[in-house]
Amino acid sequence: MKDEEIDEVLRKAGRVPHDLPSETLQRVADSIKPSLRPVRPLPPTWVMTGGLVLVCAAVSLAGAARAGFFGFAKMDLLERLLVFPALVLLAWVAGSAFVHEMIPGSLRRVSPGALLGFGSAALLAVFAFLFRDYRTDHFFSVGIVCLLTGFLHAIPAALLGWLLLRRGFAVNSVSAGLVAGVLGGLAGVGVLELHCPNFQAAHVLVWHTAVVPLSGAVGALVAWTVRFRADSGARERTNPE
Amino acid sequence: MHPDSNLEILMARYQQGDFAAATDLIERISPQLHRFFLAQSLSRTDADDLLQETWLRIHRVRHTYRPGEPALPWFYAIARHVRVDHFRKSVRTTAGERQLEARFKDAANVLRESDHADGLEALLAPLSESQREVIQMLKVAGMSLEEVARATSSSVGSVKQKVHRAYKKLRETMSATRFRKGQGGGLS
Repeated sequence: MKDEEIDEVLRKAGRVPHDLPSETLQRVADSIKPSLRPVRPLPPTWVMTGGLVLVCAAVSLAGAARAGFFGFAKMDLLERLLVFPALVLLAWVAGSAFVHEMIPGSLRRVSPGALLGFGSAALLAVFAFLFRDYRTDHFFSVGIVCLLTGFLHAIPAALLGWLLLRRGFAVNSVSAGLVAGVLGGLAGVGVLELHCPNFQAAHVLVWHTAVVPLSGAVGALVAWTVRFRADSGARERTNPE
Repeated sequence: MHPDSNLEILMARYQQGDFAAATDLIERISPQLHRFFLAQSLSRTDADDLLQETWLRIHRVRHTYRPGEPALPWFYAIARHVRVDHFRKSVRTTAGERQLEARFKDAANVLRESDHADGLEALLAPLSESQREVIQMLKVAGMSLEEVARATSSSVGSVKQKVHRAYKKLRETMSATRFRKGQGGGLS
């Protein structure tokens, strides 16, 4: 059997009219009529993405201002010119993906999983190229502090991002949570790059980069938990016993 | 074509609070969405409920449609979300509820078989859920590959792959049906 024949069979089956009773349509119309008033559409994608990048930059700068700009002061010009534009670029990509997750029917250019992989790989590449000190002094004790610092700054960045896009509607809340986490994680990495003066390659590659997957995973987990609790609540309301 | 018959224009007017545009959209989109739910192994009662639920959701988030963007993928993305929500809620049930649901599904299947044995739903029955939805969007709703990708939050490549697999399965099923019919014809 050829594809054209299958096409024809499907076309014929699809052409059969599927009319709904007018009462059903009337019931739908009646249900929306009382609350029908003009609404303001969401702003363009670039405006919302720009807002998200600004939120990330603000969180990074505020975090570093509180802790000190020791990392930035120790960096040479090449390091500054590569690390911060890369972070802004990645934040723009993640911000744009977050906006697309919050608008139903918008074209997804990067899947959340690919964004996480691509973002982490890009950071690893930049750090591996720039930092060539291969000592591993106090690898775990110092590293854990950096990971926690980055993650603690990722939380407010992700929450502020969510707040900024609160008028949106995520058709897949777990994906949206993951992308919000990645975006927050990039703000956390921003804080670490501005603050942390430890330029040992292993430290930066492992602990600084790990903020992004950690925040992404936590973002997805939080979204999943919220959805699970909402589903459970709805089930209890419909079936109390 | 009258410009007002365009879905995108109707959607923009709906956002401005125009009830006539909202009614027009309901009349034009509802049969498609209802059929979409029916093709996803749902009973008529469930499809009615999900249609109502979808319109309430559409109404609540109508500001997320952006003028100039294709409207059909936006509608289908929300309908798909409502359907997935419905399935998730029904999958996470207790053992007793599961038994009840199995019985309900059997009844729904009997109802569907008798109602639409020769229809699109029966044709698409051998396909997986995701294959069914892309075939329905492409062949019944007449959406483009890009629009289906928008509605299903996936890439165009992934949609093409699903269509390819669905056609492979449909080819096998239809050829087998033809063969059986041919054999039956020979015997009678």
